[in-house]
Amino acid sequence: MANFNIDAKKDMTYDAIVIGSGISGGWAAKELCESGLKTLVLERGRLVEHVIDYPTMNNDPWDTELRGAAAAEELKERQINARTGFVGENNIHFFAKDDENPYKEVKPFMWVRANQMGGRSLLWGKQCYRWSDLDFEANAKDGHGVDWPIRYNDIKDWYTYVEKFAGISGEAIGLPQLPDSHFLPPMELNCVEKDVKKRIEKEFPGRNMIIGRVAHLTEPLNGRGQCQSRNRCDRGCPYGAYFSSNAVTLPAANATGNLTIRPFSLADSIIYDEEKGKAVGVRVIDSETKEVLEYYAKIVFCNASTIGTTQLLLNSTSNRFENGLGNDSGELGHNLMDHTYRVGAMGKFEGHEDGYYKGRRPNGIYIPRYRNIDEKSTTDKFLRGYGYQGGAGRANWGAGANQEAFGGEFKDALMKPGDWEFFITGFAECLPYHENQVSLDKDKLDKWGRPTLVIDAEFKENELAINKQIQIDAVEMLEKAGLKDIVGFDNEHGMGYGIHEMGTARMGKDPKTSVLNATNQVHAVKNVFVTDGACMTSSSCVNPSLTYMALTARAANHAVSELKKKNL
Amino acid sequence: MQRREALKQTALFGVATALFPSLLQSCKETSRLNWQPQFLSVKHAELVSSLVDTLLPKTETPGALEMKVDMFIDLVYGKLNGEAGQETMDKGMDDFDARCKEKFGDRFADLSPENKAEFLKMEEANSPKFNGSIWGTAAGKQEPVGFYRNLKSTALWGYFSSEEIGLKVLTYDPVPGPYQGCIPLAEVGNTYSL
Repeated sequence: MANFNIDAKKDMTYDAIVIGSGISGGWAAKELCESGLKTLVLERGRLVEHVIDYPTMNNDPWDTELRGAAAAEELKERQINARTGFVGENNIHFFAKDDENPYKEVKPFMWVRANQMGGRSLLWGKQCYRWSDLDFEANAKDGHGVDWPIRYNDIKDWYTYVEKFAGISGEAIGLPQLPDSHFLPPMELNCVEKDVKKRIEKEFPGRNMIIGRVAHLTEPLNGRGQCQSRNRCDRGCPYGAYFSSNAVTLPAANATGNLTIRPFSLADSIIYDEEKGKAVGVRVIDSETKEVLEYYAKIVFCNASTIGTTQLLLNSTSNRFENGLGNDSGELGHNLMDHTYRVGAMGKFEGHEDGYYKGRRPNGIYIPRYRNIDEKSTTDKFLRGYGYQGGAGRANWGAGANQEAFGGEFKDALMKPGDWEFFITGFAECLPYHENQVSLDKDKLDKWGRPTLVIDAEFKENELAINKQIQIDAVEMLEKAGLKDIVGFDNEHGMGYGIHEMGTARMGKDPKTSVLNATNQVHAVKNVFVTDGACMTSSSCVNPSLTYMALTARAANHAVSELKKKNL
Repeated sequence: MQRREALKQTALFGVATALFPSLLQSCKETSRLNWQPQFLSVKHAELVSSLVDTLLPKTETPGALEMKVDMFIDLVYGKLNGEAGQETMDKGMDDFDARCKEKFGDRFADLSPENKAEFLKMEEANSPKFNGSIWGTAAGKQEPVGFYRNLKSTALWGYFSSEEIGLKVLTYDPVPGPYQGCIPLAEVGNTYSL
């Protein structure tokens, strides 16, 4: 597809450089290219072309020796990613090897990485929710962290803009705490979910259960096909039905003729020119040859993922910025956040034994936040709030393992669907704590000679108090919804499991306490933009990717307009 | 590295024994196996074969042995479990047969069908169970379930994910199209294989 910059020396100067090609990098590339800027996308991993590089997309279980499981030998190189429980033979090639970016965990922190063109946009959960002013005002109201420099109105139209192009399916219900998106038709709830929804909404006024809002096409859009309910998304989608950089934004960027992608390009540091007082380019290590190269541009977009971007900024030192580019506030690397996860309840549903469904819907249900949203719902047990994801389905043959039976009849009975089961699991907001941080260890270098990262972060009292409530509410909702054999659970274990890492180069009004301004520019180096999760000032309790898309599109268009005005 | 070497040696061993089947004869009598384990000892492979046959025998639908579930478990043991898992399973299999001998005077593979069934009933009653799981993670703290429950679970996996069962017995629907949330079970019949 794109121009690939293989001959590094041929062309070292572009209008714009985008570091990273995941969800936010893809959007930056698209917007900048469409505005006419010659744009170089630096990708630390290999090229992954849409469809062509999805070798496992049609595998059935019996097509691989271990029926989709990954061999212990293969997982050895990916012990950190393997902790997710999501890594198997059919998607292992999209997960990074540990030695590509080693880090020290002062406290347990699972950092999931996908180092290839498209990054984690090939693996993400696709849940897309707008933030509201409940989120943007939270820091200002309770005093944790600094105030966001923007409000919902600043980003509202940009949400619509990215939603129209990405394709978000869902149902509009008009909740102030969870603004509706521009929606494609919603996916359907199944029989049991419809019943549970009715009961929860009746028993708990103010709580809603809706179909998940997701970046899956429920009707064709811009030449992409609609979701076929195969639920093999993490191998790459042959229809381009879910949003990924590979299927959506990078092809659009490429269609302009302005895009160049350079793979195997580790961004080592941003080059700061002391006289000009701005960034002039990016120093790159070719990860295969270890050759060091310099690329130049008028603007630089950092989209290397929350922690990756901050690692790059910390490593970009100069006389002016001894502690990392744009780190006048000392906040660079601090306020790392994630969502809590894996706390909830499950149970069995009696009824609908003659009902079933068709398709493996890559989506579930969502229960939007209902605590601390107004005076009536305010609790003194914790600040902020949480929402739930979940869903219902019928058990399959796997349920046989626990049945006290064996033999021919047992085997043949397992051919039929088993009990209906329903579960919900909470996602809670995490406060921005200064002491939750990433830093560089200059004594321990990676295989390219770059300082490695130290991650020192943990959930604290407020998050644990929310988790407690998540489980209590989950059990209560399932009880009132008539489920049986209810089991509450709390499987929280350290940060990173939500794979929603945010913060470490936060936006803010004051350069003394934040790294980025209201349009994602580094306060002191206005031609460097950070629009991935690193920019987040608080974490909300909803999935963040849609907000990265909107912030990126907004910042990229601001960058173009500032360039035209010769302000950068 | 050591592990790679071990695998290589096992593979060589496999070739050699294929050429000289008599080497495979176990200490007791002629081997019950009609396949060469790549990773399990012959004694353990015989236990696995007889166990999966008792758990999932042939009826109107194929049995576990026809679907080569024992050979699949050999692969799981060798390639999926890792070294620690292999040690646990070795010990589990030895303990299992020791209990069999204590109760019926013989290892499991050599018991009568009635004694095999009686022994498995005891195992069922005494084995801990799996927690429910969500998105591949056990809900709550999962206590070890022991060799029997683990093996049963792996046998079910091997059987129901095999090609013949997946394509011909269960409902195979690789490209379902738009999700339909509520349809009569009668329209589908057996559970989906994917």
